[in-house]
Amino acid sequence: MQQDTVLVVGGGPAGLAAAANVNSAGYKAVVVEKEDVLGGAPILSGYAKLVPSGEWAKDAIGRMVKRVEDDANSTVHKGAKVEKLEGEAGNFTATLTNGESVQAGAVVLATGFTHFDSINKPEWGFGTYEDVLTTTQMEQMVASGKIACPSDGRVPERVCILLCVGSRDRQIGREWCSKICCTVSANLAMEIKEISPETDVFIYYMDIRTFGLYEDKFYWKSQEEFKTKFVKARIAEVTASGDGRLLVKGEDTLVKRPIVIPFDIVVHAIGMDPNADNPEISQVFGVGLEKHGFLERAEQYTNTCGTTRKGIYSCGAAYGPETIDDSIAQGAAAGGRAVADLHALVQKAG
Amino acid sequence: MAIHEKALIEDERLQQHDELVVDGVDVSGHWNTMISPRTVRDYDDDFETKIQGFAGGENVHRCWQCGSCTNSCTMYAQNVQFNPRYWIYLTRLGMKEELVKDKDIIWQCVSCNKCTNICPKDVKPEGVMKALAHWMEEEGITEKAPSTHFDEEFADQIYKTGRIEDGKVMQNFFKKTGQPLVQEWLKVFIFRMMKHLPVKHLMAMGFNTIHTPRTKSWGKTGDVLKNYVREQKEAAHG
Repeated sequence: MQQDTVLVVGGGPAGLAAAANVNSAGYKAVVVEKEDVLGGAPILSGYAKLVPSGEWAKDAIGRMVKRVEDDANSTVHKGAKVEKLEGEAGNFTATLTNGESVQAGAVVLATGFTHFDSINKPEWGFGTYEDVLTTTQMEQMVASGKIACPSDGRVPERVCILLCVGSRDRQIGREWCSKICCTVSANLAMEIKEISPETDVFIYYMDIRTFGLYEDKFYWKSQEEFKTKFVKARIAEVTASGDGRLLVKGEDTLVKRPIVIPFDIVVHAIGMDPNADNPEISQVFGVGLEKHGFLERAEQYTNTCGTTRKGIYSCGAAYGPETIDDSIAQGAAAGGRAVADLHALVQKAG
Repeated sequence: MAIHEKALIEDERLQQHDELVVDGVDVSGHWNTMISPRTVRDYDDDFETKIQGFAGGENVHRCWQCGSCTNSCTMYAQNVQFNPRYWIYLTRLGMKEELVKDKDIIWQCVSCNKCTNICPKDVKPEGVMKALAHWMEEEGITEKAPSTHFDEEFADQIYKTGRIEDGKVMQNFFKKTGQPLVQEWLKVFIFRMMKHLPVKHLMAMGFNTIHTPRTKSWGKTGDVLKNYVREQKEAAHG
């Protein structure tokens, strides 16, 4: 009976939401996760407090994991990928890398994204200097409860966060805004200040895109209550000062002057790349990719959550940079959509 | 001289030798023109807090540089060098030297408060202009404003006697601000008063100018007051 089963590929926030919704409708969900744990990026990368709820990732996402794992209608395959998919909408057979075979009527691709690898912007010092970090590393530092320079453990006088690392950059073929880094960075600045009040935090930006209700809750709050300084400059390079600090060079576009400012820690607000596995996913599932390399959407208005192949749905950051909350909402929608289409198929068959 | 963006070069950064020969080659005049760099090498992290200690500067940290203040500014319409948005930015990052370059125009704010009304972040740019002007006065970067002289004279008399003598306030104010002691309007003022022959009043005024009586049981009130004002000022400005 494959028509009562939905195969969910990816066990992050979107996939977990999809599986839970499939279960709620009385259908079976089979979750296939390539890593050994469920939870996706927030868990795998050790995010600290989530935007915008402020809840610790392990608590919030942990509840989502538990909900799926505890459901008798869910089957979870960890450390496995889908190797082959045969059949058509209503009648798919997937072969997994762990040797198992799954029969499902629909597939939800909740395959998410890959963090930008800062090594690809060598001029900003990541991989060269110990005190240049990424936002995910800084999240981990915040989660550990202590702010210190990795090089020698001193408390930083000054930290700067560089926005748009791996986003909005034609030089490296990233012609998209990763949507959430501004808000995450504004939030991170507050978390740093909370743990280490003597540290001043600067954010170097081209534009601030704390959309919707993130405006006052994150951008304004960070600036007004936590004294984060926002400086309009796209940084040219990060070098060593010779006395153990880092020099951040660029042009302050608002005063039209070159700047070379000493910092103790430089954080890259890394963007969201298409999942590095997307070419493989595209081939295995027979779905198209859009021009940036994310999954291509079906016609949006009447085929929401669709891909270019019937019976295969998608959601969250697989489609493009997405927030955790919206990924969850889209995952729930995709799960619901898959179940609804299966229901219609069974009705039609009579 | 082939220099582009001349607007960005202050005169003091232009270096040129009238007579210069290098390795036997005559490079006198504009051939040896050098421009010293205008790179910002550090921020003064405490300056913003300092300005926030002056009345009006409290909200300067809220600014996000939209430029609404400059756009709406009465003075900017007269002189594009008058740029509140820019000065607020310099204040935020602590670029004091840049601010001081504009010391002769910052005080020109006419307090029309169009900026205050338009500012989306409630920075109160007009207040920041006042705070900056006061900071410059306090640091001796600009001369004391006439109003500051007046305030000081007024307060000094209060500390001493618990009251002010109009004539004495005016006299000392004129002295401190280098104005003639006898002014046309004052002559008219006194002449008109004389017409009514307020003998008693004039006598009291004359008497008080010489004797400057104190308020009854003023005692040490003046000292206490003076200390309190000093403490408050120190608490605010450090």
